[in-house]
Amino acid sequence: MTPAHLAFLLLAVPLASAGFTACFLRRHGGAAAACSVGVANLILIGALWLGLSGVRFEIAKEWLNLGGLVVSFGFKFDDLAALMLVIVAVVGLCVHVFSLGYMAEDAAKARYFAGLSLFMFSMIGIVLADNLFMMFIFWELVGFCSWLLINHWYERPAASAAAKKAFITNRVGDFGFLLGILMCYRTRGTVNLTDLAVQTSSGFAIYSRALPLLLFCGAIGKSAQLPLQVWLPDAMEGPTPVSALIHAATMVAAGIYMLCRIQMLMVPQVLEVIAWVGTATALYSALCAITQRDIKKVLAYSTLSQLGYMVAAFGLGSVEHRTESGEVVLVAAGVGAAMFHLTTHAFFKALLFLGSGSVIHACHDEQDIFRMGGLGRRMKLTFATFTIAVAAIIGLPFFAGFFSKEAILALAFTQNRSIFAVLAFTAALTAFYMLRLWKLTFLGVARSPQAEHAHEGGFAIEAPLAVLAVLAVFGGMTSLYPRAIAGVLGWVVEPEGAARAAVLVTSLAVLVVGAALALIVYRSPAIRQAAAGPLCDPLQSRFPTLFGTLVALRDSFDTVYGYYIEKIQQRFAMLLNFFDLLGIGGLARALAGVVGLAGIEARAVQVGRLNVYIYWFLAGVAVLWAFAAGVF
Amino acid sequence: MISAGLNAYIGLSAVLFAIGFLGVLLRRNALVIFMGLELMLVAATLALAAFSRFNGTMDGHVFVFFILTVAAAEVAVGLAIVVAVFRRRGTIQVDQLDSLKN
Repeated sequence: MTPAHLAFLLLAVPLASAGFTACFLRRHGGAAAACSVGVANLILIGALWLGLSGVRFEIAKEWLNLGGLVVSFGFKFDDLAALMLVIVAVVGLCVHVFSLGYMAEDAAKARYFAGLSLFMFSMIGIVLADNLFMMFIFWELVGFCSWLLINHWYERPAASAAAKKAFITNRVGDFGFLLGILMCYRTRGTVNLTDLAVQTSSGFAIYSRALPLLLFCGAIGKSAQLPLQVWLPDAMEGPTPVSALIHAATMVAAGIYMLCRIQMLMVPQVLEVIAWVGTATALYSALCAITQRDIKKVLAYSTLSQLGYMVAAFGLGSVEHRTESGEVVLVAAGVGAAMFHLTTHAFFKALLFLGSGSVIHACHDEQDIFRMGGLGRRMKLTFATFTIAVAAIIGLPFFAGFFSKEAILALAFTQNRSIFAVLAFTAALTAFYMLRLWKLTFLGVARSPQAEHAHEGGFAIEAPLAVLAVLAVFGGMTSLYPRAIAGVLGWVVEPEGAARAAVLVTSLAVLVVGAALALIVYRSPAIRQAAAGPLCDPLQSRFPTLFGTLVALRDSFDTVYGYYIEKIQQRFAMLLNFFDLLGIGGLARALAGVVGLAGIEARAVQVGRLNVYIYWFLAGVAVLWAFAAGVF
Repeated sequence: MISAGLNAYIGLSAVLFAIGFLGVLLRRNALVIFMGLELMLVAATLALAAFSRFNGTMDGHVFVFFILTVAAAEVAVGLAIVVAVFRRRGTIQVDQLDSLKN
């Protein structure tokens, strides 16, 4: 079996599993779960075999030939794809196993696991795609899977609305992406990633800038960057393992991955836009996360914030690097740092979500952190792993997030000091809201009966937590990675001398400040005191203005979009509808009226009496005779 | 023996046809309508036989045989239908057989 065959199998097997489940196992939840988890195991084995064997290949077959447009179906398996494939497979398997425990009692288990398998198929398709058209197809497929899985509990109005919101918001970004692909085909004559890389840019400057910007629109939608970030927090209505896999670790990271794939199309002006969009998202989402009470919403905003980090890192672009032999080479440090953070983030954020899933499971669907508390004593393993994940995300030294975040900050320090400042401030906010979450959930006393009776959820829930915890500890040490998949991480440029010290001191300082503030504001007496009053949140009772501002900031986008849709788009749609009724609809209705009238006339002939029919027969004979005799 | 001319045969044939046709048009009883139809067939047969006789050819006689054969088959089927309708509906008055209308 050649590597290309194996890659094809990686696509075919999860699709077959989803199809088989949809056709034959609808009523057999247990069998569907076993099938899906088995497939996830196979994917991991295949991905590791493919990734660790160190093979690199490209293969393409012509798929559609429509006039001048040739769409091929092919795989491009390079360093970038190898790393991403392994991440998807590892996190995918953890989430599948976790779902066995989390969704054990669910009535629609078969649909859920079929959805997961379909998602694995689509995501692997994005990872392996060798051209933009193929990537776009799988891009839409993951969007569909996201819709399907957010909508899993479709009888809840909130879940149904959130799924629609996610889908429609993504459409906005995808429209730009599709325009970008078409423009790429038009101006470059190819959409194959390798061909694009060897081609030197030609044509007008306007195209070379508009093209990457349009493609970036796709990433804005999928990776939920400003201003299309509104769908991700709502998407938390889906089952928690789905949030971990799709809305934290893999699908939302597909935007970053896509950017890294089209890195050769980038020009400096566009990179600057991208960097600022990412930075703004990171800051905005971190501010939003502070006021959230729902454990999953806090994590959702933190995901947005970390995605902002990755986009910003990508936007910081390439740096000139002096090798040991003294040559100056251009290194894609932005891609390296973004993918590094994507990797560590996939591990620790999946762990955070699965940990929150374990907590929610234990508290019987309670998601409000002010109705939790004291869970650390009752759920030892969840507590330990969640603590590791928190340490990783806030960048505690020697945990995964520390290294990747430092790589981004170091890059920002050399490339753009203002972005560095904003990102450092965001890191302080991250430490603040994560410790707030951690403290309220796991320490102190239980603030609700559910929290008092919480207990661990069994092996299927605990095992993935343990595996991901190990990865969240060691995921930042690039030297531990197998060489075959760490090629991209080699592009991370280590800071030197003073820069190194400055970055290190800054990241430690913001960590300490953020963490200390959180521990002061949310110290146990303050929580108890606030819990007695109408406002549960000590921050809210102490600093109502600040809290109100942050809430307003969070709601601002939804308010503006709601206003736009209701007052402008809806009215415009009504206007168009009016013209539609008048013009096109009018014509259609007039034609229908004429036909209907003829029908009424014709019906009058059919009286149902034999004699009348004979008269008609006679009349027909007379007409025929007259015709034959040449009267007409 | 007084030999009748062609016109006498054609005239008789026309009268028979008119009686049959008016019967089909005006009567309500399916059996009588059926008899009218038969009468029209006989009228046509008579005209054909007369033409054949006066032209001295055999064509008309051949037609007569065909028509008699087909008419016999048609009567068998038609009467069977009338009987079946009567059994099912209890009437063969065509103005009462109007279930297509309602």
